[in-house]
Amino acid sequence: MLKRNCSSSSGTATMTSRVCRTCGGSDIDVDQARGSAVCTGCGSVLEDNIIVSEVQFVEGSGGVSSAVGQFVSADGPVKAPLLGSGFHTGVGKESRAQTLQNGKRQIQQLGSQLQLNQHCLDTAFNFFKLVVSKHLTRGRRTEHVIAACLYLVCRTEGTPHMLLDLSDLLQVNVYILGKTFLLLARELCINAPAIDPCLYIPRFAHMLEFGDKNHEVSMTALRLVQRMKRDWMHTGRRPSGLCGAALLVAARMHKFRRSVKDVIGVVKVCQTTLRKRLTEFEDTPTSQLTIDEFMRVDLEQECDPPSFTAGQHKVKMQQLEQELARKLDEVEGEISCYKEEIETELEKSRPKLRGIYAAYAKEMGPSRTTAGPIQTRSHISTTPPEPELIHPEDEDVLSSPSDPEDKEGDDADLQAAAQRLTQDFLCQVIQEEGGRAPQEVETEGAGLPAQGASLASILGNASLGLQESFHTFNLPEPDQNPDEDPSPSGELDLEGIDDQEIDKYILNEKEVEVKTELWTKQNADYLKEQKEKEERITKEKEQGTYKEKKKKYKKREQIEAATAGEAIEKMLERKKISSKINYDVLRDLNQPAGSPASEPPGGAGAAPRKRLSRRRRKAGDANAELSAGATMMTKRFRRLISSTPRKKTAAPQVETAVVMETASEAVPEAPPAALPGPAPAEAPPPVETEEEEEAAEEDCVSALRLVGGRSTTFPDPSEPEPEPTNASMFSRLRL
Amino acid sequence: EGPENDPTADPTESQNIVSTVNLGCPLDLKFIALQARNAEYNPKRFAAVIMRIREPRTTALIFSSGKMVCTGAKSEEQSRLAARKYARVVQKLGFPARFLDFKIQNMVASCDVCFPIRLEGLVLTHQQFSSQTAAQLVNNTHKMVFTSTSVGS
Repeated sequence: MLKRNCSSSSGTATMTSRVCRTCGGSDIDVDQARGSAVCTGCGSVLEDNIIVSEVQFVEGSGGVSSAVGQFVSADGPVKAPLLGSGFHTGVGKESRAQTLQNGKRQIQQLGSQLQLNQHCLDTAFNFFKLVVSKHLTRGRRTEHVIAACLYLVCRTEGTPHMLLDLSDLLQVNVYILGKTFLLLARELCINAPAIDPCLYIPRFAHMLEFGDKNHEVSMTALRLVQRMKRDWMHTGRRPSGLCGAALLVAARMHKFRRSVKDVIGVVKVCQTTLRKRLTEFEDTPTSQLTIDEFMRVDLEQECDPPSFTAGQHKVKMQQLEQELARKLDEVEGEISCYKEEIETELEKSRPKLRGIYAAYAKEMGPSRTTAGPIQTRSHISTTPPEPELIHPEDEDVLSSPSDPEDKEGDDADLQAAAQRLTQDFLCQVIQEEGGRAPQEVETEGAGLPAQGASLASILGNASLGLQESFHTFNLPEPDQNPDEDPSPSGELDLEGIDDQEIDKYILNEKEVEVKTELWTKQNADYLKEQKEKEERITKEKEQGTYKEKKKKYKKREQIEAATAGEAIEKMLERKKISSKINYDVLRDLNQPAGSPASEPPGGAGAAPRKRLSRRRRKAGDANAELSAGATMMTKRFRRLISSTPRKKTAAPQVETAVVMETASEAVPEAPPAALPGPAPAEAPPPVETEEEEEAAEEDCVSALRLVGGRSTTFPDPSEPEPEPTNASMFSRLRL
Repeated sequence: EGPENDPTADPTESQNIVSTVNLGCPLDLKFIALQARNAEYNPKRFAAVIMRIREPRTTALIFSSGKMVCTGAKSEEQSRLAARKYARVVQKLGFPARFLDFKIQNMVASCDVCFPIRLEGLVLTHQQFSSQTAAQLVNNTHKMVFTSTSVGS
């Protein structure tokens, strides 16, 4: 503790061998009593509060004696109290120092609860300092940040502390701490090494109280964990789960009765997790070894990670299912040919339709196959079959369904679908009929009910597939030109959209009513709020105090640039960072050294730009151009007087006004009042005459060019028109 | 035969495609929500109608400005078809909907490399791209972002 001696009883004046700063005299009088060093020559006070290493006590109110002095911390800069004799403590400490101090204190507190050594705590404090300097403490609770720093230290040092411990101490959700920790680790670019479950074993073993055999059990558990690691069980998993499983097994191996509940209480994982780990371990070949074998032998073979095997298992199941489906298809194929035979038989045995039915059947035409069997079915069920009746009039009707080859492509699809559906019906019929069908059908019939259901599902799938194929069939190749917009006018392309399907998505009137009722009930609050808002607005409008608060979203335009240089230019132009920047130099940064230095005098388009460039540079380089500006001014003035008045345009007028302004800024002595007067009155010199003067102005420009460094060759295509740059120039000058 | 056996097959599988389109006219969300079967609208929670269709199985967010976001399709063509279907529904409800500036915004795909990966190693070697989720470093996301050439300010 250092003490500043400001008043004391004893006082001795001593001479020191110092030199006075003001007069150079070496005659310094040091008064211990007052604690000051004074030069006797000029009288300047060299030292006011001399630091002494004494301990002095002072009697305070109530007879309490306290030591005199001030605590100075080892770290953290203490501002020298410039307020004279300072007993002031803590005042004038900056916020940053306070934050750090506070953080250090909390780290110490928390760290000691975790029994971390001082080195770790110091490292944690260093991390904290980094975090503060990167402004990552903003918006986060200090205790979260502290916890994350401590955990970071734990991870880097490899101490067996879990984030769960920290969350227990702080009573904070562990995932929040985890998030903070991950963020800090990323921001500080600190790579926290993946935690090794082996680190946790001793700790958990200790908590499970194995007594004397603690070490042995730990070793066994360690071996188990290592085995698990080799079997890829630890990748992507929480280490505590693995530790729990290993410890459980190890305990049982050493004949300790530790139930699953005990273990999960210590390890803090869920029972399901533990069981799962044990199951996975069971699947590995190591689990088949006896205890002795395990301790002695180490299997060479490494397993795949459980998720991988599960995935493969799934793939295998899928393959099996595909196989099954294919087999079913084959069987179905067989069935279908049997069915066709059955159908032909039935056709022959069917009572032929006569009279009105025949005509009806003829009308149906291609859809006969669906209608026919149905009708036949009804006939079969009602009347006994008459196998020998074949009417000539029905011959053609009969023949028509039996040659599907004549049909077109999609009709054939329809046919096939219809056939499949009828087969479904047929098998049902066959089941009903029983003995009527030929022998083959009966054997099929037995097998059919079992597959009836699956067939239905397959047929269901088939019909869906057919529907899709219809749709794709109808789509006339939309992929012909993917880049070309098929509807340049923006009209909705209706190809491939089934209108019926769309209609299904729209409610009819009754449904709309119901829905409206429900919706209004649900959103009653919202509707009320809206009404109130509207009333408020109308009221304010009447009163005239209506402030329309529009949410202004600043829409950023994307800059399209071909090269980096162009992009930089455009960005600078848009952002208008500063009027003092020489944009031309920046622009030329990306251009090669040998850029064309000459200013092409031709081109009316180029000329005003050049003038603008000159003026822009004027805005940039204030000093050098003052003189140039003056000469320009005078020249222009001369030109103004000499030239014949011509029609003025808005732009040049603005330009000249701008020139006037620069001129007036730059040259105070020129008569500014007179100039703005005649200048707008007279016609400003048109662009063309300026061109003639360019040669004359070359020498005054050369100074600028010297300062600018290089010439200005505007990249013409990307250059905006003079008008907007005028405005920007104007604004820039106004800055 | 699965993709592993067929050498010419694409091992990656597209999982989700997000696209946007401008219907080109302002929409009355309340009307749409009440007239459409598959629409939900909760103005307090979110200022858009959420509409779903079954084929292709997608979800669309339709905003009152006429802009629409379509998610859930498995391919670009499906996304476009789905967006057109939504536009058709809106059209049928009486709005002069058009189909302007259809643009795919995001595509998510999955891929099976057919061998197990050591996640810790991946994080160590490819720190720039890898990040581990907050759930106690169980999973690992390896992200590579491909940006377009236009320069934004």
